[in-house]
Amino acid sequence: MKFVPAGVVPFVALLLLQRRPVAGRALLVTGSGCPSHSLCRSNVQEQTRRQVAVLNATAQELFSLYLKCQGEPFSSESDKLCNPAGIFFPAFRVNRTSERKEVMVAMYKLFAFLNASLGNITRDQEELNPMAKELLERLHNTTKTTRGLISNLTCLLCKNYNIFQVDVRYGDSSKGKSAFKKKQQGCQVLRKYVQVIGQAARVLLPHLGPS
Amino acid sequence: MKESRLCSEWDRAKMLPKSNELQKKIIMVSTIGGASEDSEAQRVNVTYSDLTPQVCFKIKERRVEIPIPESSIRVTIKSSGTAFATQEFAIHQKDISFVPVTPHILSLIPDFATSTLNLKWSDNGSVFPYGLHALWQIQILRKEAMEVVTQVTYYSKLTHEDVILSWNWTSDMPLECTSHYVKIRCYINATQYVGPKDWSDWSPAEVIPGKDTEPGGSGVFPLDPVVAVGSDLTFCCVHEEDQRITNMTYGSKSYTMMKLSSRSHAIRVLNASVSNSSGTNVVCRLENGLEGSVVFVGYAPDIPQNLSCETSNFLIIKCTWKPGRPSGLYGERRTKYSLFERTSGKNVSCEVSEVNKDHVCGFPVLPDQKTYDFVLGVSNPIGQAQSSLLVDITQRVHPKTPEKLTVTGNNSTSIQLRWFINGSFAEVRLLCQIEINSSHSERKLHNVSTPGRKSSTYTAQLNALHPDTKYQFRVRCSAADHFWRWSDWSRGVEQTTSEAPPARGPDIWRERSPSGESLIVFWKPLSLSETNGKIVSHEVSCHLLETLLEHKVVFEPSNRTEIKLGKSDCVISVVARNQAGSSPPSRITSVELPSDNVTTDQAVAMGNGINISWDSYPNMTCGYVVKWCHSSGSEPCIVDWQKFPSNTTNAVIKSALFKPGVRYNFSLYGCKSMGYQLLKNVTGYMKELPPKTAPNFIVEETSSDSILVKWEDIPVDECRGFLKGYLLSFAKGEKDALKPRLSESGNPELKVNNITDLTKKSMKILDLQGKTSYQLELQAYTAGGLSPPNSLYVVTKEDSVGLIIAILIPVAVVVLLGVLASIFCYRKREWIKETFYPEIPNPENSKALQFQRNICEGNKTLKTLEMNPCTPNSVEVVETQSTAPKMEDTEMMSPAAETTVPEDGCDSEMENHVVVSYCPPIIEEEISNPPMDEPGGSSQVVYIDIQSMYQPQIKPEEEPAIDLATTAGYKPQMQLSISALKIEGHSPVEEELDKTAGYRPQTNTNAWNMGTPDSPGSVESNNENASFGVHVQLIHDSFYFPQKMMKTLLNLLIQGGPSHTFFRTKQMINSGSSLHMNLPSE
Repeated sequence: MKFVPAGVVPFVALLLLQRRPVAGRALLVTGSGCPSHSLCRSNVQEQTRRQVAVLNATAQELFSLYLKCQGEPFSSESDKLCNPAGIFFPAFRVNRTSERKEVMVAMYKLFAFLNASLGNITRDQEELNPMAKELLERLHNTTKTTRGLISNLTCLLCKNYNIFQVDVRYGDSSKGKSAFKKKQQGCQVLRKYVQVIGQAARVLLPHLGPS
Repeated sequence: MKESRLCSEWDRAKMLPKSNELQKKIIMVSTIGGASEDSEAQRVNVTYSDLTPQVCFKIKERRVEIPIPESSIRVTIKSSGTAFATQEFAIHQKDISFVPVTPHILSLIPDFATSTLNLKWSDNGSVFPYGLHALWQIQILRKEAMEVVTQVTYYSKLTHEDVILSWNWTSDMPLECTSHYVKIRCYINATQYVGPKDWSDWSPAEVIPGKDTEPGGSGVFPLDPVVAVGSDLTFCCVHEEDQRITNMTYGSKSYTMMKLSSRSHAIRVLNASVSNSSGTNVVCRLENGLEGSVVFVGYAPDIPQNLSCETSNFLIIKCTWKPGRPSGLYGERRTKYSLFERTSGKNVSCEVSEVNKDHVCGFPVLPDQKTYDFVLGVSNPIGQAQSSLLVDITQRVHPKTPEKLTVTGNNSTSIQLRWFINGSFAEVRLLCQIEINSSHSERKLHNVSTPGRKSSTYTAQLNALHPDTKYQFRVRCSAADHFWRWSDWSRGVEQTTSEAPPARGPDIWRERSPSGESLIVFWKPLSLSETNGKIVSHEVSCHLLETLLEHKVVFEPSNRTEIKLGKSDCVISVVARNQAGSSPPSRITSVELPSDNVTTDQAVAMGNGINISWDSYPNMTCGYVVKWCHSSGSEPCIVDWQKFPSNTTNAVIKSALFKPGVRYNFSLYGCKSMGYQLLKNVTGYMKELPPKTAPNFIVEETSSDSILVKWEDIPVDECRGFLKGYLLSFAKGEKDALKPRLSESGNPELKVNNITDLTKKSMKILDLQGKTSYQLELQAYTAGGLSPPNSLYVVTKEDSVGLIIAILIPVAVVVLLGVLASIFCYRKREWIKETFYPEIPNPENSKALQFQRNICEGNKTLKTLEMNPCTPNSVEVVETQSTAPKMEDTEMMSPAAETTVPEDGCDSEMENHVVVSYCPPIIEEEISNPPMDEPGGSSQVVYIDIQSMYQPQIKPEEEPAIDLATTAGYKPQMQLSISALKIEGHSPVEEELDKTAGYRPQTNTNAWNMGTPDSPGSVESNNENASFGVHVQLIHDSFYFPQKMMKTLLNLLIQGGPSHTFFRTKQMINSGSSLHMNLPSE
């Protein structure tokens, strides 16, 4: 669970506990452990799996629409412009045979990072592209889904493994960067997101699939 | 020598004044020589021309400052040290150049966002007199090579004070792209100075280093610029020294790069077009990466249009405007608005979304301020604009929608309305408009003016309403004194007023029953505006003088009642009653006065009614009543009536129940004080229509030239108008279901009879043809048009006399002609015989042809050849030897022979009996020599064929039998055309032909054509047949027919002359006998 790269200030995220396993509805746990009362609803696993599936199904369209809204040459040279080699993205080194706990933690780190990055991208696009209503709507929806996903993962980690604290590293903020850098950074994150979300969906299936 | 050198080091032309000592000192400097530090001390004595005391300076430097003389000075320079030298010279004021001190740049500040340099320097004006003009020359240089980009001259006026001057310069190239340098020098136009004036030296260059000089500096510049549409832009890409730039693109287009330095390249984009909301990307591709920037190209804001301000509550002033052309800039680059009020100096910024089309900005109403001078400022990174409006807010009141509308104080004719308006309207009067809607009246607007109050409830009283009526009310308000705009309508409320007694008594009529024993009283329902509530019942009473004979209460919805009066009369009174009370009574007398000579007229339709007119009856004192039934006669009918004053003689009766095509019967009654009198009856239609059905008609009687037709009347209900007449049409025509109507057929024989005498019920159609089918059509018509037709088909009877005459006359004519012909023929019988049937000699009488009997045994009637009386020559060659086997030789059965056999055979000849004359024949001899390879010594049978002298009359391919049939017979003699003959060569026979041409055989040569045209033999035989003469053919190799003997034979024939009989030689293969010339073989 400790894979914070050197030189990066680790960000400790408090797990968000939920009363109801509904996306975006979560409570901040202020105590030092998981609450003893009921944490999750019975269908939280299935709901989590479906949320990942939804993200996986919509990721490519979101990425394509993002490229289209940034103007040329983003659409035509996305390989070069959106090469995610130079940015930070959480490692997702789990597979279908990994332990379930390990998968859940990796998922949490991934979606916590994505939630923050999508927030940055949404903010930048609201500034750069206020007329791109469809893109903004998709970004908002994706952010909401990741937020709900985080709540459900929080619940599962707390309930099943009593984990209420995970170290999460976020990427660089795009605030203060030039418009081109903002566009490029969003593009790099979304491209990587498209790649990783598919892997996440595949990995998650045996762990959260209907038993 | 040293003195001389020293002296030359002082340049009198370079006497420079110190900046602060223009009027006091000059500076003499040596233009050559080193620093004065190491030099020996020098002594300078300055002697002025005026009486100023001599001044002595002991200096080590090679310069000295001395006051400027009024006119001239004398200077002595003595050098002390190891060597001694003295230089003495005079300096005149006009020889001293005035060169300002080199200006000093105080600051050079770059603004990278706008690529602007800000230069500041001091003018040192304190050392100069006030008012001198100063010129400042500023030079901008670029790149490491310091290429001059521009040089500008700046003008200022010295104020005898040190003033900091500032100058801005905007570069067409981003300052980050490469280093920029700035130098400055000055020129003081000291007009009172007599000497020459010159520019100062250039100041040291101040530099703004480009990013290409910074270690690690890279990127595309400018960064995120915002520029106007149509601008020319320069972008540069700064990269590391070891990186190679691939290309640079603006949007999707690649541009040619200019090298600025080893680390910087630039592109120039001309006339930039508006970019999309996320900007246009400028990308610099390097070998191992890329850099980019985004440029936002848009428009400066338009001047706001239609700026308008108003208040709805005297708390906030709401200003609206139209923004004009979109700027194309969004986000933080969007157009921003601010509202500034000049009187108060208050400024508010307006949150206007670029996406939102409503451009609204609120400004608080200030206490004790009615007039507002607004300036709407608009700005974006490219430019700014403004629009102003001076407004008296009390004249721009647009109240909010009235709320909480309620109804209070309800009675039958008035109500009270209450409503609330949010806002402080204490300073104005309000004008509120109340809309009144009801189901049976038009929309009404009622205005109420009331003093405005602060967030208060307002009331209004509405009178003159109608009882028992459901009303809808709603309210809107505006300022009363200075109308600006109405508020929106409030929510509507409904209210029904309470009932009141009916406004008047009902309209009544009465009729005696058919028996006369009772009286039926009718009344009309009151209109909604008269009932004032729901009518519950009607009270009918019958008074004879003061005595009540009968009283009845008739409940709704009945509108009639029957009163049994017997034969007596009374005055009938009817009262309508609702929940609120009774109406005033309506009265009518039951007395009906007798009338004489009541006529029935026809009424004329007029518009949607029926016009009824009558004469004036002076004794009808209380008017007239027109009564009618809403049916065409059958009782009970819906009785209706209408009353008219006494002076009326004309009325158009209208009713919603009137229907077109329905006959209505009206009765006009006159009203006298004693009672009502029937004046006349009227029938009429609201609109006449064509009769609904066709009139029925039958054919009563038919003759050979006439038809009697009878028809019946159309029932009144189906007439649908006043019947005007009938149209009887007829024309010839067979019964055919598909046949169109007569009137539409366009038949030119169509005849139409118009029968306008309606009493006439039959008609006889005359002048028809016998035994002919006629189509009859009968139509009735009204003013509304023609009825559908009724058709009949009638066949007239046959005319027998005419038929007999038509037969007898032709028979008689034929008989007569026959008799005449017989007589004629009898009288001219000789001539006819000679002309048409000349006598022909019987060939049987010819002895020359007696052999034919032997040849054609079994057929005694056959005559092979009949000849004219001329004496025939006969040649008979009979072969008695048995030749049957040879006759059947295959060589004999050549195609030509085969085809010849049937024609020339006996059977054929019997059927085609030919009688020909031959006087004299012209014969062409043609002898076919046997081929040389024929076996010699064999005998031959020679057939002699005599051909016609005529040119063939039909084509060769035609059947020979047909030729015989068509051409055989007696033909007139004619001259043979020589050219028609096909003669091969000019033989002696031809010459003979020429001589003997004249009388020719009468037959067709083609009839003798023995060969078929297609066969090889036939070709030859045709040629032979074309020749005129004897046809000699070898038919048997056992008979050799020497040419000499053949000639002898021919000569015999020819020498026969005119008396020779022309005959044909027949081939008699089948019968075994033949006509041959048997000649002994050689």
